[in-house]
Amino acid sequence: MKRSPIVLAAALLAAAGFAGTASAEDAKVMQDRQALMKQQGADMGGVKGYLDDKNDLAKATEAATDLPKTMAKLPDVFPPGTAGPNPDGKYETKAEVWTDWNGFLSARDTAAKKADALLAAVKGGDKAAIQTAFAELGKEGCGGCHQKFRAEIKK
Amino acid sequence: MLAATASRAVAADPGPDLVARGAYLATAAGCENCHTDKEHGGQRFAGGPALPTPFGTFYGPNITPDAETGIGRWSDAQFLRALREGVRADGANLYPAFPYPSFTEIADEDALAIKAYLFSLPPVRQQSRDQNVSFPFSWRTLISIWKLLFFTPGRFRPLPDRAAGSNRGAYLVTALGHCGECHTPRNWLGAMEPDAFLAGTPTGPDGKKVPNITPDAKTGIGKWSEDDIVNLLKDGQTPEFDFVGGAMRAIVDDTSHLTDADRGAIAVFLKNVPAKPFAGNE
Repeated sequence: MKRSPIVLAAALLAAAGFAGTASAEDAKVMQDRQALMKQQGADMGGVKGYLDDKNDLAKATEAATDLPKTMAKLPDVFPPGTAGPNPDGKYETKAEVWTDWNGFLSARDTAAKKADALLAAVKGGDKAAIQTAFAELGKEGCGGCHQKFRAEIKK
Repeated sequence: MLAATASRAVAADPGPDLVARGAYLATAAGCENCHTDKEHGGQRFAGGPALPTPFGTFYGPNITPDAETGIGRWSDAQFLRALREGVRADGANLYPAFPYPSFTEIADEDALAIKAYLFSLPPVRQQSRDQNVSFPFSWRTLISIWKLLFFTPGRFRPLPDRAAGSNRGAYLVTALGHCGECHTPRNWLGAMEPDAFLAGTPTGPDGKKVPNITPDAKTGIGKWSEDDIVNLLKDGQTPEFDFVGGAMRAIVDDTSHLTDADRGAIAVFLKNVPAKPFAGNE
């Protein structure tokens, strides 16, 4: 099974002084983490839908309002000891999240700022500005974190 | 018209200015991904990061116009020969880690525009790193045999029956963008397998999986629309509103600077390449 990377990461972190141990709680956190990411994906979809004239500004505003909230929850779903494959089995969370916790928080802060900027743009109503803020959040915010802290699982 | 100076300014529509056109084409070809060590703050085009392969680890050389350590003394003919035939100015074979099997198809005027752009940049005195290749691959003469077996130089030839816009897309993908160099599986001697063009591989650069980008419905991007492909190239966004990380992220940094028309052309072409299953153990 794919438990071994989690156990190894947990053992290393335990040796480094963290209290993390692989457990049912960790599995639940990883479910919550994936669900949070998918929620963020759906929110991005809500904004993009407006840009593509598929839904209205009200839906985009609802989505853009949710994004800063989910950004704030991110550190909670990355407790130590939860590196490894996500429930979908497509990606894995890299141990760098915790070996470079400051870098992780910095990436999160960047994403959170861009989510705030997107909300401001959506409230402003100018489509070009919304498009720019959307692209920035996606590439620099979401992509910036995925770049360093997530890996596709080799199949 | 934006001039390509110290910043990464890339004209959206380069127009007739040769250097600006060269800057745009160098972005489309992603030259900096191999020739600039961005992670370690290396100067632009002065030498690139490590590219691990089964044959050794390669380092993109200094291609700034420095006379001693770069390509400052290279003539137009020598520059074209490097891209077209994989031969260095001193006559030595280049390793196909430099993707001349793809670059051979670049038009002369595009290659020379790229050269003009490179020569407009500040020369940087920095010795290129030696390629870290062990015997027998360290013997560049052997590459001549590899070329005999696997490489045919030649310019891109547009096909009259391609879908509208698809020839431009074919040129961008096959020649400039050299997407096949990562997205196509390779044989035991490291040559791309033409029958599995763009079908992905479990053992790409850095040993990581590279996805199938043919229109295969199960293992490729068959379910993606042209808009989905454009969204990926523009913002790194997938149809599930995920945003790519990893190696593709660096590519998106380049493709996000292409014109809408060029991204659209790439999408049309990709939707029309032969669908192949993922070339792995999936």
